[in-house]
Amino acid sequence: MAELRYVRALNQALSDAMAADPSVVVFGEDIAAAGGPFGVTRGLLEAYGADRVRDTPISEATIVGAAVGAAMTGLKPVVEIMFMDFVAIAMDAIVNQAAKARFMFGGQGSVPMVVRLPHGGGVSAGPQHSQCLEAWFAHIPGLKVVCPASVADAYGLMRAAIDDPDPVILVENKALYARKEDVPDDLPAVEIGKARIARPGRDATIVTYGAALYTALEAADTLAGEGVEVEVIDLRSLQPWDEAAVLESLSRTHRLVVAHEAVEAFGVGAEIAARMADIGFDELDGPIVRVGAPFMPVPFAKTLEQGYLPDAGRIADAVRKTLA
Amino acid sequence: MPSSPANNAPALTDLVMPKLGLTMTEGVLAEWKAKPGDSVSAGTVIFVVETDKIANEVEAPSAGTIAEILVQTGETVPVGTPVARWTGKGFIADEADAPRPAVEAPKPAPLPASTGDRVRATPLARRIAKAQGVDLHAVAGSGPDGRIKAADVEAAAKTAPAASPTEGERIALSAKYLAMVRRVVAAKRDIPDFQVVRTADVGALLELRRQLNAVGGPKVSVNDMVLKAVGRALLSLPRANRIWAEDAHIAFAATDVGMVVNSEDGLFIPILRDVGRLPLDRLAVDSAAAAAKAREGRLAAGDITGGAISVSNLGMFGAKALTPIISPPQSAILGIGAVERLFRPDAEGKPALRQEMTLTLSCDHRVYDGVLAARLLQAVAEALEAPHSLLLTEG
Repeated sequence: MAELRYVRALNQALSDAMAADPSVVVFGEDIAAAGGPFGVTRGLLEAYGADRVRDTPISEATIVGAAVGAAMTGLKPVVEIMFMDFVAIAMDAIVNQAAKARFMFGGQGSVPMVVRLPHGGGVSAGPQHSQCLEAWFAHIPGLKVVCPASVADAYGLMRAAIDDPDPVILVENKALYARKEDVPDDLPAVEIGKARIARPGRDATIVTYGAALYTALEAADTLAGEGVEVEVIDLRSLQPWDEAAVLESLSRTHRLVVAHEAVEAFGVGAEIAARMADIGFDELDGPIVRVGAPFMPVPFAKTLEQGYLPDAGRIADAVRKTLA
Repeated sequence: MPSSPANNAPALTDLVMPKLGLTMTEGVLAEWKAKPGDSVSAGTVIFVVETDKIANEVEAPSAGTIAEILVQTGETVPVGTPVARWTGKGFIADEADAPRPAVEAPKPAPLPASTGDRVRATPLARRIAKAQGVDLHAVAGSGPDGRIKAADVEAAAKTAPAASPTEGERIALSAKYLAMVRRVVAAKRDIPDFQVVRTADVGALLELRRQLNAVGGPKVSVNDMVLKAVGRALLSLPRANRIWAEDAHIAFAATDVGMVVNSEDGLFIPILRDVGRLPLDRLAVDSAAAAAKAREGRLAAGDITGGAISVSNLGMFGAKALTPIISPPQSAILGIGAVERLFRPDAEGKPALRQEMTLTLSCDHRVYDGVLAARLLQAVAEALEAPHSLLLTEG
């Protein structure tokens, strides 16, 4: 066992993957000499050389376009978009090229590419540097979307994403980079599409992912003081997501809350709620309640942003509502 | 130009029982939210109407002052009946008869869990109910708006008899019937009642009645004679002619007596006025008219208010005795059983054939004590046993 930070787990996963497979390459803005704006790629340039670790111009369309081409021609690129918000101008390469290639070439080609997208607020970074846009990608057939919350999953999902033969969107919450956990020395890869029960409970299920996991666990602590035992499920993968695990939990608790930092409207929670209202209908003993950010750009001001981000109180209220 | 202030003596108009739905024909005035002298503004809830479906809060259509309340809490009146006089203008029910379906309840209260066939239940609750044969109509929901949850069904399944989950037919009841139900529930809940029982020898009474009816004139019933006996008993015992009113007694001078009448819509108690002083033949006419009005549903509010005591007679159905429920705000009710023929020892101890009737007086202990109850019952019985006294109009 050793204590490891989330950012170091990502770095370790990149390093281990590059050591294991010479086709793995890394590029992005300031990721080589500077080690990345958040330090995720620190030391890779020194270890694996400038051919495999490259700084790029400030052009996200170029970064992802080059990655799609490299992936189609035999490399396994892992590219970084400095803030998830900036991916908007790279969407064509992701949505129309990377996601479609396997299908349009009759399965004869694929795009084994990882696009790393730091998301999330709480750092007063304003409306263009704080968004959680993962639902955009989960909506596109051909893309996989993962969002590790724990340090172990940061390592395991990064390894799984690099090993995956298809494009994977790896979403990292900026607020988690500094997170420390005791983890085994030999971290395994984590299967994409498998959720985990972060806290077992019998009275209600909270499905969540990313940094919201810790907000949900805080809410579960609060509710435990009221005699309500909440089960918290960390989805880990959003596309594909672990429908069976959520249904299994709902079948025991009969109440469901879906919580995420992203805007509530048309979000990941809407998909989970709709599916469970369908296949889990007869298990429901209360309304499915979503908790997400309001339908509003992320505010700059710290106090406004604190009011904007879903907190444990709102999640606990949602659980109380479904238990009412 | 500023509007001129209201007249010093503004004209009064009627507030009437509103028509709160296309099928509503009558409503129970469930609660007054305003009292005479209250000034209300437009939108203030002034009273609550219950129909067989729902409770509705009725709001003032304009500002005004309530002058007089005509229909008391708990009374049922047909749509359009004036319930109060006030200085305001307009009313939702002014349009009740207009062919405009838009006239509905101003603000329906939240629906109870099981209104008609609509049941609010979670999917899991429905699944469990189906599997265990629990009728959701019979389950009280503990969730928001009475939503039935799984735990409610499980609790109901535990308490319900395990065998034969047969479903009975659910019968909707009229507002009048439901008003009667509320009255008896309130009476059993709120009144500390006790009963005193005795028999009366009515041989002479039956003979007198036969003779009176042979003469012609209004047909006098045994019930009329009992009513008359009660009226006379009240004259001799004015202490019994009282009702309970919030830490006080209200004493009546007039010897009004209620008469329980059975109808398809439930029981009604028209009040006969100053029975103790009313000649028996007049009483017979009044009681027949009141019974007809009750059976035809034509009783007005004034016909059913007043009096401290009522008479309920099941003798014609052969019931030996009846322990009736007091009708609030009255303080007593006399239950009459059937006339029985039986042998009693006479003065020498020999069997003598008698005709006897069992009288049961239910009393409100906030007004009566045991002695007063026994004395009233004694006065009634003695009047029945010396029936010519019933022909006197005073003392």
